[in-house]
Amino acid sequence: MRWRTAHQPRLTVIRALLVFWLVVPLTPLVLWAGASRWSGTVRLPQDFGFRGWQEALDAGVIAALVRSGLLGVAVALIATPLGVMAGRALGWRLLRRPALPSVVLLAPVVLAPFAVAMGLDVVILRLGIPGEIAVVLVLSVFALPYTTFTMRATYLGLDPDLEEQARVLGASTRQARRRVTLPAATTGLATATGLAFLVGWSDYAVTLLIGGGQIVTAPMLIGSAAAGSGNDALSSTLAISASLPPLVALAVFTYAASRRRTAAHS
Amino acid sequence: MTQHPTSSPRSRGDRRATRQLGGARLVAPAVLLILAVTGTALGAVVATSLGLLPLVGQPRLNIDGFTTLAGDLRAATQESLLTATTATLLAAAIGLAIATIVVRAGGGVRLVIGLTVAVMTVPHLVGAAGTGLLLSDVGLAQRWSGISAASWPELVGGRWPWATVLELAWKESAFVALVVFASVGRHYADLREVAAVLGAAPRAQWRRVLLPLAAPALASSSLIVFVYSLGTYEVARLLGRAYPEPLPVMAYRLFTDIDVAARPQAAATAVVATGLALLAAVMALPLLRRLGADR
Repeated sequence: MRWRTAHQPRLTVIRALLVFWLVVPLTPLVLWAGASRWSGTVRLPQDFGFRGWQEALDAGVIAALVRSGLLGVAVALIATPLGVMAGRALGWRLLRRPALPSVVLLAPVVLAPFAVAMGLDVVILRLGIPGEIAVVLVLSVFALPYTTFTMRATYLGLDPDLEEQARVLGASTRQARRRVTLPAATTGLATATGLAFLVGWSDYAVTLLIGGGQIVTAPMLIGSAAAGSGNDALSSTLAISASLPPLVALAVFTYAASRRRTAAHS
Repeated sequence: MTQHPTSSPRSRGDRRATRQLGGARLVAPAVLLILAVTGTALGAVVATSLGLLPLVGQPRLNIDGFTTLAGDLRAATQESLLTATTATLLAAAIGLAIATIVVRAGGGVRLVIGLTVAVMTVPHLVGAAGTGLLLSDVGLAQRWSGISAASWPELVGGRWPWATVLELAWKESAFVALVVFASVGRHYADLREVAAVLGAAPRAQWRRVLLPLAAPALASSSLIVFVYSLGTYEVARLLGRAYPEPLPVMAYRLFTDIDVAARPQAAATAVVATGLALLAAVMALPLLRRLGADR
């Protein structure tokens, strides 16, 4: 476009500033994770090395990451199918009065996780329900708005008649849904699953409140390292190990999706 | 579900009724789970705050939970509102800037998109750890700026919640950008072409085309950022000062107090935080509806 050339320098500056804004809070983590000694207030570490990583391993980071992963998977296993169903009903306008269900499905966005966790903790203590189950339930509730409204948007972009046509051609209701609609909804489905997983993977407040420190996930380790120890190399290493797995998964998915798109085009 | 949509001689109204029944069945599990969990939890929080669910002793209806620490509760409310408002304004402005750059510049912004998505996936706790190491008085910013540690401003744990606000704004700006980008994307490309052909300058294109298109998504994502910032615990816990603390930090501190008499006060704090968030949502609803964000 012609007009863009005149504004190129300003656009470049703004773009650079935004990149700076997005990157800068993560920079110290990368530096500290590679520093084995960085005392005083000097600009760069005196010694580079893997001290932080060794300490993270000693602190049980692997087990904590596995626990976080399991929590993410459990939340995704509950929140994604329920969100797909609700999103289908909302996106395809299968409800006569969608207002009230929509409000309920959005409500968790407004509620503070710590308040819900606190209330449920009082109840499960009396009923003797294991903390792990309560954590998964609470986090699934907080993941539901994301899965539901991602799938609502996905279904809005899909034609309900295609399923109907598949049924006319002899497919059962289930086959039509599995073979016609779901393949077309892959990106939405992956986004919803990813978001639900992240709710479980990143949670701190709910796990801390209901688990009472007994359920040691990766954020628990980061929290205690960053709050108390003053061991910056350790907290940076823990923070990076908790950030990388979702990023790698995202990169792989984006790559696979772009490959599929190119394959479809050629 | 209609099993044989074409062979059945059913009337159209009949079919719609079946579809609606199917629709109700589809939303029921999600709706029931949310109602059961949040209903139970909020019921228990309100009951605890009113002295009806004491850990020990007899239940007795009273409002001591709210009145005993009324001063602290007011200070925490102010701190929470201040933090959430500033963080929301910053996140909305920067998120809109990111979305603008992305929808306008077409190619060459893959780095910005990639980073925005990456920030979105990073846990808040990680952002808080990084922000702490960046802005504390022995942090990276101090080390690299050459300002002495003694004269470095109190950004972490100081009188004003700078670090908390910046962390929330950082991560939520990515959220706002992605929501706006997703809702504007295709439409804007078409409309901008029309606007450009009709002779609109870039600035007019932004103000007259992009801003109105982005407004519903911007408003609803800002509301989400605001209520999220009101209810978040870990960021202020790591980066904020001890007093006055925001509502979630105060609630957690009281909840884990060895004195069980603090439980009703913790619950009262949670009730206030929940009430504020609900109030914000109710107040924002007319605006969202006028912008068409409810569609």
